[in-house]
Amino acid sequence: MPFRLFGPRAFHRVCDKTRRRFRPPAWLLSLIAIFAFWESISASGLIPSDQLPPLHEVLLTLVQLAGTPFFISHVAQSLANVTTGVSLALVLVLPLALLVGMRSQLDQALTPIIMLVGALPDLAILTFLVTIIGRGNVAAVAISAFSAFFPIYFTIRQGVKEIPADYFHVASVFRAGRAQTLTKMILPSIFPNLMTGLRLSFEFSWNVLLAVEIIASVAGIGTFISTNLGSSTHSLTYGLAAIMTVGIITITMDRAFFERLENRTKRWH
Amino acid sequence: MTKVYEDPPETVTALKDISFNVNEGEFLCIVGPSGCGKSTLLRMIAGLDRPSSGQIRFRGDLLTAPHSKISMVFQTFALLPWRTVIQNVEFGLEIQGRPKMERQEVAMDLLDMVGLRGSENLYPKQLSGGMKQRVGIARALAIDPEVVLMDEAFSAIDEFTAEALRAEVSDIHKKSRKTFLLVTHNLPEAIELADRILVLSARPARVKSIVGIDLDRPRASTDSEFITIHKDIFSLLQAELENSLMRHRLGELQEFRKLKDMEDR
Repeated sequence: MPFRLFGPRAFHRVCDKTRRRFRPPAWLLSLIAIFAFWESISASGLIPSDQLPPLHEVLLTLVQLAGTPFFISHVAQSLANVTTGVSLALVLVLPLALLVGMRSQLDQALTPIIMLVGALPDLAILTFLVTIIGRGNVAAVAISAFSAFFPIYFTIRQGVKEIPADYFHVASVFRAGRAQTLTKMILPSIFPNLMTGLRLSFEFSWNVLLAVEIIASVAGIGTFISTNLGSSTHSLTYGLAAIMTVGIITITMDRAFFERLENRTKRWH
Repeated sequence: MTKVYEDPPETVTALKDISFNVNEGEFLCIVGPSGCGKSTLLRMIAGLDRPSSGQIRFRGDLLTAPHSKISMVFQTFALLPWRTVIQNVEFGLEIQGRPKMERQEVAMDLLDMVGLRGSENLYPKQLSGGMKQRVGIARALAIDPEVVLMDEAFSAIDEFTAEALRAEVSDIHKKSRKTFLLVTHNLPEAIELADRILVLSARPARVKSIVGIDLDRPRASTDSEFITIHKDIFSLLQAELENSLMRHRLGELQEFRKLKDMEDR
């Protein structure tokens, strides 16, 4: 049999070879490139190291910080605040968004107002809130609940509106009561929307929370960043390490928690 | 029974002075020009809607809400996508609060009957249209109804699959002796399945005629008697269609005149 460079067999041979070799994900390569760029700039002295500390120092600090109880408690505090805020928003929004989704008159009465409030800048509201509630964790939870409110509201409302009329007919024909219609039909229907809403609102309020901590001087990773960025010698390294921590936490939450939940609904969705 | 939709400033009379009886155990098909209110009629029997005037009675009892012995199959299948095949079939029994063992037993028997054993753990999105409607039929039968309402149940399925499914439904009807009401715009389908066909007129729908079909089953659409019946009912429907078309054209003409008057002014 002649040697064939082209054709199906040759093609499969090439495929098999590449499959056996380890292939890193594309994003990892870009990340390494960016980090190499950073490292080379600070190493070359183009930007002095007190303005841009070399990457390896930042990473080292990050590892060090991750073992410091003081730093961990700050991160934990921030996470607790944002989780409380989002949960609070969920408890408040869910009944409202369900009602609004099913009653178009109520929708017409409320949604424009809610859109208006949602359009107000979060950070301006925040300073206003701080003057009313005062500084502290309560202000932090309140503002993260505020910014989590809107994504959850709009995604659930949309989800309820998109439930096909025939699903309601099925529930009626098989004589489901109000509670059963809610638990066996409406809630499962909107579950994918709920996930999207929670995912968005977590991102929103997580960002806002860091600002809150700085303005309202609440213990948390935001205050940690601002105090370190604004002071003494090794400050920048600490600040950058903390910023990286925030990024890592956001991505981990998104991928490990929300994406997994969303994937579960993809079996049927 | 009459059904009027009031959507100010318009009021539309969908059904006008409709009156008919359904015999126990019979297969009644309801045909009529599209948009005449056939599905509205079925929805009212299902208790999903109420007549504006008049009454619907089931064994003498006034029907105002869905009845536990009346079940329904939907044109859109309306399977709940987060439930597996068997969970969908169990839905009605679950609502009734029956124990899990009993639910599964009933559901498995029905899935056997509609030829879906082995697919019970699939999700609806993994099924073809014909398979989805089999699940829809099994779900409707699971609550052991006396009346099965079918709203254009074969219309969203490709013709070959629909043909097979019709034969199975006919079989189920013969064995179970349950009462079936099928709304359809497919006349041969109605003739193939029905003991009697209720022909409705164009909107506002009235009972135009009730045609008894006395052919042996299974019925072939090539039989001469089948063709004769088809011709008869078709001419009835055609007259209705022409009527409604004329009315529609007349309406357009008036509209056109109005526009022209306005232009002239």
